Amino acid sequence: MSANVAAGDPLLRVEDLRVQFPTEDGLVRAVDGIGYELRAGRTLGIVGESGSGKTVSALALMGLHPKHARVAGRIDFDGRELLGLRAEQMRALRGEELAMIFQDPLSSLHPLHRVGWQLVEAIRAHRDVAKAAARERAAELLDLVGIPDPRARLRAYPHELSGGQRQRVMIAMALANEPKLLIADEPTTALDVTVQAQILALLARLQRELGMAMVLVTHDLGVVAEVADEIAVMYAGRIVERGSTEQVLTAPSHPYTWGLLRSIPRLENGAAGHGPASRAPRDSDRGAAGELEPIAGRPPSLIDPPSGCHFHPRCPYALPEHARIDPALAPVPEEPAHLAACLLEPEVRTELWSRLRAGESAEQARAAVGLADLASEPNSVAAGLASETHG
Amino acid sequence: MSRPNRPGGPLAALASTALFVLAVAGCGSGGSSTSTIPLKAGESPIGQQLTGKHRGGTLTVYEHEDFEHFDPGEAYGGQDYTVLYAIERPLYSYPPNTANKLVPDVAATAPVISDGGKTLTVTIRPHIYFSPPVNREVNSGDVAYAIERGANPNVANPYFHSYFNDVVGAEKANGGLIAGIETPSRYTIVFHLTKPTAALLYGALSLPLSAPVPPEFAKPLDAHSPTTYGTEYLVATGPYMLKADSRGKFLGIGYQPGKSATLVRNPTWNPHTDYRPAYLDRIDINIGGEPTVIGQQVLKGQNVVQNDSPAQSIVKEAYERYPQQITFTSGSGDYYASLNNAHGPFTNIDLRKAVWAALDREAIAKVRGGPLVAQPMTHFLYPGVAGYEQAGGAAGPKVDYNEHPEGDMAVATKYMKLAGYSSGKYTGGKTLQVVGSTGEPAEGMAQIVNQTLQNLGFKTHLSLVDQSVMYDKYCTVPAQEIDVCPNGGWVRDFADPQTVLYVPFYGPAIEAQGNSNWSQVNDPAINAAMRKAELVVGEPARAEAWAKIDEMLVAQAVAAPEVYVNQANIEGSGVAGVNQLWNSGAWDYDFTSLK
Amino acid sequence: MTRYIVRRLLWGVALLFIVSALTFVLFDLLPSGDPAKLRAGRTATPQAIAHIRHELGLDQPIYTQFFDYMKGVVLHFDLGYSFYSHASVKGLIAERLPATVSLAAGAIVIWLLVGLSVGIVSAVRRRTLLDRTAMGTALVFISAPEYWLGLLALFLFASDIGKLAVFPGAGSYVAFSSEPVKWFTALILPWLVLAASFAAVYARLLRGSLIEVLGEDYIRTARAKGLTERRVVMRHGVRGAITPIVTVLGLDIGTLLGGALLIEVVFNIPGVGRLNYDAINHADFPIVQGTVLLAALFIVVANLLVDISYAFLDPRVRFK
Repeated sequence: MSANVAAGDPLLRVEDLRVQFPTEDGLVRAVDGIGYELRAGRTLGIVGESGSGKTVSALALMGLHPKHARVAGRIDFDGRELLGLRAEQMRALRGEELAMIFQDPLSSLHPLHRVGWQLVEAIRAHRDVAKAAARERAAELLDLVGIPDPRARLRAYPHELSGGQRQRVMIAMALANEPKLLIADEPTTALDVTVQAQILALLARLQRELGMAMVLVTHDLGVVAEVADEIAVMYAGRIVERGSTEQVLTAPSHPYTWGLLRSIPRLENGAAGHGPASRAPRDSDRGAAGELEPIAGRPPSLIDPPSGCHFHPRCPYALPEHARIDPALAPVPEEPAHLAACLLEPEVRTELWSRLRAGESAEQARAAVGLADLASEPNSVAAGLASETHG
Repeated sequence: MSRPNRPGGPLAALASTALFVLAVAGCGSGGSSTSTIPLKAGESPIGQQLTGKHRGGTLTVYEHEDFEHFDPGEAYGGQDYTVLYAIERPLYSYPPNTANKLVPDVAATAPVISDGGKTLTVTIRPHIYFSPPVNREVNSGDVAYAIERGANPNVANPYFHSYFNDVVGAEKANGGLIAGIETPSRYTIVFHLTKPTAALLYGALSLPLSAPVPPEFAKPLDAHSPTTYGTEYLVATGPYMLKADSRGKFLGIGYQPGKSATLVRNPTWNPHTDYRPAYLDRIDINIGGEPTVIGQQVLKGQNVVQNDSPAQSIVKEAYERYPQQITFTSGSGDYYASLNNAHGPFTNIDLRKAVWAALDREAIAKVRGGPLVAQPMTHFLYPGVAGYEQAGGAAGPKVDYNEHPEGDMAVATKYMKLAGYSSGKYTGGKTLQVVGSTGEPAEGMAQIVNQTLQNLGFKTHLSLVDQSVMYDKYCTVPAQEIDVCPNGGWVRDFADPQTVLYVPFYGPAIEAQGNSNWSQVNDPAINAAMRKAELVVGEPARAEAWAKIDEMLVAQAVAAPEVYVNQANIEGSGVAGVNQLWNSGAWDYDFTSLK
Repeated sequence: MTRYIVRRLLWGVALLFIVSALTFVLFDLLPSGDPAKLRAGRTATPQAIAHIRHELGLDQPIYTQFFDYMKGVVLHFDLGYSFYSHASVKGLIAERLPATVSLAAGAIVIWLLVGLSVGIVSAVRRRTLLDRTAMGTALVFISAPEYWLGLLALFLFASDIGKLAVFPGAGSYVAFSSEPVKWFTALILPWLVLAASFAAVYARLLRGSLIEVLGEDYIRTARAKGLTERRVVMRHGVRGAITPIVTVLGLDIGTLLGGALLIEVVFNIPGVGRLNYDAINHADFPIVQGTVLLAALFIVVANLLVDISYAFLDPRVRFK
């Protein structure tokens, strides 16, 4: 796709990316050393609770992180080191080779400018074309994203459109210059359920047609299940598990991923009638009662994260020594592309997941593998339910 | 009820009997020679250089207040007079350097008084012309019409009934012919009086009402209510005229209300008929602005003067840094706190004396701007008025309550005890109504008076209201029973002591509305003395007679004196300014020139 | 929208009517000087005062006076005549209005240029030394009394009395039609002084509004499109932040056209403000009424224009 990248090389390689915010209370380590690779035409889903650092890491790719943030590490994009670019160089890339769409299309579109104006502006920001030509292109783009009567719609203000149409406009704007990488931050969260599926289908179709890479940030495993080729699960600013969608969804290897999988509602399988949906967990994959089981406890502080494994205070399977040892992201045995950061023995994890999958509760599974005996004291599970919100 | 800082207001509703002021020559005393502070050389306008430096040029005048009237029949006030005496010529007028000496102006000679003071005959100078579009020579009929129209309600001259009522037929006049005014010839006008008061009438002929008005031009205008003569149209007889169009219309041309006025030379003025040198070619008057800014503009400017009172800070700065550019004309009137002689506690003479004794007149002088512009007042004839020296001069009559201008509580206590308050404090229980005027320095003066009353044990209720409200609703309405009005002041209308003492203190002159005798003084002995004094003939004798009345007023402590005020005048470095002395002390445009 | 405007105009007329009536009543009730007495002089005879009162129509019941006045205004656009100078009030206002408009117009241009620029720079560079300095200075100008600021400006910069002789001083105003260059130079100082506090207010207002807008999602979108920062701030940020400014601007213009008394006094500019002030001092009721009516008219019209401008500023606004 690009002369700078040898065939087969990843389009995007992120290494040890750190984003930190100095605050009065201390340093917030929003993204704490993550890394991944993404090839052209592929989709990476970044999944996590709100506050896990997934959105911040996505904004850092665009160079749109808050000014006072400190960013370190490497972001290799199409042969360029993005973090080393000057502001003007980065600006030239944004909207041109990298594009992004956001969660709430109503607030993300300028309320006082017409849709056409905003599209034309996106085109002319990078292409020296006449206004009329840009307008023509804008109409094409609206057509491309499935908005009927696109020419008339150019004259509409955002508030005159439906939620789904607004997000289509956002997508059209992001695609205006046929970027190589599209970053979608919770693109469907603010939409009606039925519309969500349409937008996801649209994204999948466009990605295929345009051959771009996509980073899809979401808290919703169902969404990544539908479109992602690979999944990275983030917790407390770190990636705790990474692998192909198949690997992560069918053989998850981290207790936090298990928790996520057990906390989501039933997926609309078949809503998008293609591959990834078939790999989504089924009813039978869950607890026998088929009930949702939220992850207990709350996301940890990013200023003063728990010692050892950051997940240990919420982990039903944690052992006392997990509070001291910080696990590294390591390959799952016999699955070199599947990485997890967990201190439990891989066999124990396999055993636990198979029991959970069979419908046992966390306590039952824990007891069955003998973890209860290893623990010198009962696990401290925070009282109350952790309510999952998006973001 | 005028305000000495804007002189010209008061008038003496005078006049019943004869009064011969045959002041023709050599009577120029009075002036400012009695000022209580030593003025540096060049500061005293008496003896000011009257010879102009240069003929020609334009003088710029700043004044923050607007004019009220340019109609010689309506104008009544120092500010209007500054322009009036440059554009109109009355029968008689005062040259600069004198406060007392009248000279013939449109008149050719001093009047002839006959018939025991009941007839006054004036001969008019030939070759005096009206400005365009009238252009013709002035005759006696123009003077007769000028005075007759004063009684026209559309003109409503404010002093007509004070000084012209004794003319036969004047009392009932309403604008038409007055029987007592005859014009036997083109250059002769004769006034027949019901009483032998020709001498007072002679003085009043120095007022602008006697300036000729051409009937063929003004009559149609006088039919409007109010007249448009002097508000839209005007013709001049003096060396200058308000810039006007070919029809004589000056409104919007030579005068923009609230904005500016422009005086240009009157092309028909004949210098051989006039004592005025009229050096300047043009006078641009700029109306409005901030007093401290105007003051600075004048002091740092060239061909510029300020026409109204400079700000206190400017007076001080000018005196210290620009001594050649400031003049003080003494005798711009006085201020006193009227005490209600007819009603309430101050019917008691000893209480009045106690207030007089206790009042710190030096503090009031300080509030008014300090010794340059205000000195403690000691009696009722003020500096510059004939009789002032005879009545005691600066020190005033020798009575114990007058001895300490800084206030003397011991003397005050003595009179409180005489009044029957053995503790020296008032215990009568009555709350005094005190009505003063808002704005400095009036407020400061009112506060000092109020505090003095409280020090004497009085409970007071002090109201500070707008000056016009103070006059119209309270202090000039006896029925309001106001006990003390601390912000009253007085300026004479022309040179005669009667114009200072008669209206404010003559009992029968008390009116139900618009009363000028604020203290409501109605002392039979004083009334009788006044009736006698107004018949006295000759300036020295009149001065003596009215000084005696002044002493009686002091003995009765009819009011609590506050200060005599000077008029401060500032000019630019390029101006050889000359002040008139007979009225407000303002700049005289007829004699002022550029260096 | 047309119906809305018509209804608002009708309301405006009603409001002006009410303002006129209130002015009449207030003038009748308040203890100002009696115009007839003031005109007649202090020692006029009661007959003379009665005559003047009659001629001025002051002897009529107040509702008759009011009715006659309104009749004149509506039928002939006649605002009456000054009790003092006898000049027509309409003529006086027409003569004074150019000065007031000149003063207001120049000041508005300056304060918008300065105020909005400072507001934008401060918002973009917020919490920097530049921002703090600008906002501190703004606070000084907001707190400084206009009158004092005017005097200070004159004593510092006026060519006649200033320490540095830079600009023409007080009283140098001339009409644009007579000497355009002198008109301009004479107005520089008054413009600057009048604009100072407004510029400060507008800078703070825009800064606050813009900081809020710059945190909006659509600004992030604009940046994501790769727009230059300048375009992001100006076309997206300022466009979103400008509505409150327009509201205030409309009302300020309306108020200023009624006269800027203090500036007019300090700089000796013969505007409507001074006309009104002098008239109040002299109980010159026809002028007071005329100038009050004019000021009210400007404010009513300004309000209407502001409301209508919303429709153009914000497509989400709909009039009913």
